[in-house]
Amino acid sequence: MLAYAVRRVLATIPLLLIGTFVVYVLVSISGDPLAKLATCTQCDQQAFDRIIDLYDLDKPIPERYVNWVVNAVQGDFGPAVSFGSIDAGELVLERAANSARLAIPAFLIIVTIAITLGVYSAVNQYSRLDYAVTGLSFLGISLPTFVFALLLQTIMIWMLDAFGWRPFFVTGMRTVELDGFLPMLRSHVLPVITLVLVITASESRFQRAAMLEVINSDYIRTARAKGLPNRKVILRHGLRNALIPMATIWAIDFAALLGGSVVTETIFAWPGLGPLFISAVTQLDLNLTMAIVMLTSLLVIVFNLVADLAYGLLDPRIRYE
Amino acid sequence: MSDATLDAREGLTTVSRSFGRQAWDRFRRHRLAMIALVLLALMTTAFVVGPWLSPYAFSDQDFSALNQGPSLAHPFGTDPIGRDLMVRTFIGGRYSLRIALLIAVLTTAIGTVIGALSGYFGGRLGAAIDQVINLFLIVPSLIILIVLAARYGSGPNAIAIVIALLSWPLIARIVRGSFLQFRDQEFVLAARAAGASTRRIMFRHILPNVFGPIVVNATLLIGIAIILESTLGFLGLGVRPPVPTLGNLIAESKGALQTKPSAALIPGGFIVTITLCANFIGDGLRDALDPTSRKS
Amino acid sequence: MTTPLLEVDDLRVTFRTDDGDVRAVQGLSFTVAEGETLAVVGESGSGKTVAALAIMRLLPRTARVEGTIRFRGTSLLDLDEDGMRDLQGDDLAMIFQDPMTALNPVFTVGDQIVEAIRTHRDVTESAARARATELLDLVGIPEPKQRIDNYPHEFSGGMRQRAMIAMGIANEPKLLIADEPTTALDVTVQAQVMEVVRTVQEATGTAVMLVTHDLGLVAGTADRIQVMYGGRLFEAGPTDTVFYGSRNPYTLGLMASIPSAVGRTARRLEPIPGSPPSLIALPEGCAFSPRCAFATEACRDEPELRVVDAASGHATRCHRAEELPDLVAARATATAGSEGGAAEPGAAGDGAA
Repeated sequence: MLAYAVRRVLATIPLLLIGTFVVYVLVSISGDPLAKLATCTQCDQQAFDRIIDLYDLDKPIPERYVNWVVNAVQGDFGPAVSFGSIDAGELVLERAANSARLAIPAFLIIVTIAITLGVYSAVNQYSRLDYAVTGLSFLGISLPTFVFALLLQTIMIWMLDAFGWRPFFVTGMRTVELDGFLPMLRSHVLPVITLVLVITASESRFQRAAMLEVINSDYIRTARAKGLPNRKVILRHGLRNALIPMATIWAIDFAALLGGSVVTETIFAWPGLGPLFISAVTQLDLNLTMAIVMLTSLLVIVFNLVADLAYGLLDPRIRYE
Repeated sequence: MSDATLDAREGLTTVSRSFGRQAWDRFRRHRLAMIALVLLALMTTAFVVGPWLSPYAFSDQDFSALNQGPSLAHPFGTDPIGRDLMVRTFIGGRYSLRIALLIAVLTTAIGTVIGALSGYFGGRLGAAIDQVINLFLIVPSLIILIVLAARYGSGPNAIAIVIALLSWPLIARIVRGSFLQFRDQEFVLAARAAGASTRRIMFRHILPNVFGPIVVNATLLIGIAIILESTLGFLGLGVRPPVPTLGNLIAESKGALQTKPSAALIPGGFIVTITLCANFIGDGLRDALDPTSRKS
Repeated sequence: MTTPLLEVDDLRVTFRTDDGDVRAVQGLSFTVAEGETLAVVGESGSGKTVAALAIMRLLPRTARVEGTIRFRGTSLLDLDEDGMRDLQGDDLAMIFQDPMTALNPVFTVGDQIVEAIRTHRDVTESAARARATELLDLVGIPEPKQRIDNYPHEFSGGMRQRAMIAMGIANEPKLLIADEPTTALDVTVQAQVMEVVRTVQEATGTAVMLVTHDLGLVAGTADRIQVMYGGRLFEAGPTDTVFYGSRNPYTLGLMASIPSAVGRTARRLEPIPGSPPSLIALPEGCAFSPRCAFATEACRDEPELRVVDAASGHATRCHRAEELPDLVAARATATAGSEGGAAEPGAAGDGAA
């Protein structure tokens, strides 16, 4: 199993290199710092040369990329020029921690709700609750994140107007250390709810489909023929099998959540990876963009591996050698 | 159809209708899909005909009614420079729908061709496509989108093309799966044995069998495309203003959420409704075209 | 006579579908005595499996089940879920058609047998395991002590079905319903599995209700046969009587279409023309008449199931039961005379439709 994991990780290295190279080239060719400098009237030739030297701008892009890889492997992602040249790696990790503050609770809530709703509506297929769950998940899938977030904000603003008080903050992040526990909670709730709604909608659909397939399978009938109580049939025999296909979906969703959500974090002015990424790309901050892409790629690769291994643990038919 | 007459001659099946007829009958029974179809038709009509009937033009300014909420004269209100938001919403809806349709058609076309080729020929082409799909996991679409938009502009068509170039793996994977499944089935082998050309086998024999899932997913894509386009517009990364798409309209009015939430919530409501309709119609089509996949 | 083990009276099962009601079982009545083997034979769609599942109360909730089913005097359809669960897997057990899918892939074979035991018996895990090992040994699994910890996918098809049987008899049921237990298996393995069923029956004295489409399989095993068609009982009687003195054209057709059928002289195989009826729109009158070589005007009225030999309890559902042996003989000579031209089944079908 360990050998398998190592082999899997090694196999992703070429993909990672090609992927980061594509990003490097795309960003490099889009923003030409020299063009910007050329319009700078106050810069003297000396400063100009220093910058060229600092960023290797006189060298071809592939060579610059190789340099970047060599430094990145050693943990040096270079300065984030659009953020006062602080270390790009450190900045990304700090923002990633902020994103994780939303991602982890959101993920736990999503999985809990999705399993509960998915199992319940599959077991009670065509019941009123099943239709309600189906309807809600259709609504969730059809509701763009930003519209839902704006709706939540509107409600909060309206509450502030009407009662002079609102339960949750509309923008910004508060922490226990700086602001205390309650403000922390009040600032986290809305972005977490936003993330939960959007992803739960699709995940509970998947869970329902997986559970339905299992419930109609022969071995569930066998379990019933044994005279097992319904609970055991559903949870022990049913859910245990229905979780297998979910492992991959969870891994993908969790990796995406940890990688920061562009829309939710932007709307709630959350200092996470999402807004940082948008700012880095639109300002063509190469080092910062690369550091973020590196982190999100690693998240995707690691969690895909985790999903694969979980798959092997859940399904005895799969063996990794 | 010939199958129907054959069955009728044998006298074993009593009812035999053409596939299209049966599909329509099944679709009609899906009540939500029918409602969605009607609703979508109504909205499209409003988007197309509405601005034409309205007393206000798209950029007319009414200085007696700046930045107003909904009223009799301006049912959706006005924006800060006195433009009628109903006309703007309808025109925005027109653009958004057009972009979404274009995305759905392009994505489906690209995805179907690539998926069919890789499914039928498999091997190295299939592996290459897998790698491209994996690459999409690593290279964020937003980077490609922003870079391409910077190069080739961000008009409605350009944005649609870029989104389609980023979304085709969705369809390609489905089509490829079906082609893999049908490639070695007897009717294909029979056609091959009868000397049918590869192109004929792919397009005349296999493609019709994959038709159902393709149409269903193309419909669902309309919903996805509306959300994508409006989200990009909202982030300021989509179709460049002054072209009013539903997303751009929300982006314009998000600052005024406190004073005039209707300006953002009305176009938001349209986005949700269009997407819901697309999803329900897709669901109905799935029941109608692919009865075996029904979740019963 | 004492009360039979299982008594089914006027069982009707209906499924609601978008295309109309599917009447899968229509007025089925029969009994199973303690320790006997009853074979229920029919094509797919004849309602035999649905009837079996109805007895076990394993049909989906969309099914409407009417009539009465009495098991050792208890009316099963009136039991609450707890009461029914006490019987399921205990006195009343069932094994299924496809051993590939009927075992849960994520639990070991041993776990699944132990679960069956401990659901109904208050025994320790280790005692149940010891019993499970015995059971695996009884059904002929080699090295049961090791194989008990295997997952189903590590078993061959035949071994899985043996494991299913072990699970079915874990609590020494009074009635074991076997639904096509050999259909999914290789021919050579089929015989072995049937042998296991016989062994088990001798060891435990359980009655067996063997549901199958394969008349050949039934010959050496069953005490009685009942043939189903279109949701109805078409013929019932002791095995030998049905095999050698069938009074039903459908049974005769089934036998003629089976290569290994006992009691037929070497003749070319004769498939029954056409396919089983749609259970939504059943033909008027006798359900088999559109496919029957001997159908007449009279077959427009549905025949009753009637006893033709009171001593053996031989019953059949056919208007022409009495003249059937003569008709068959006449047809045989006619066919021999002019290859196949005499009785065009299609023509008879048109007359009845």
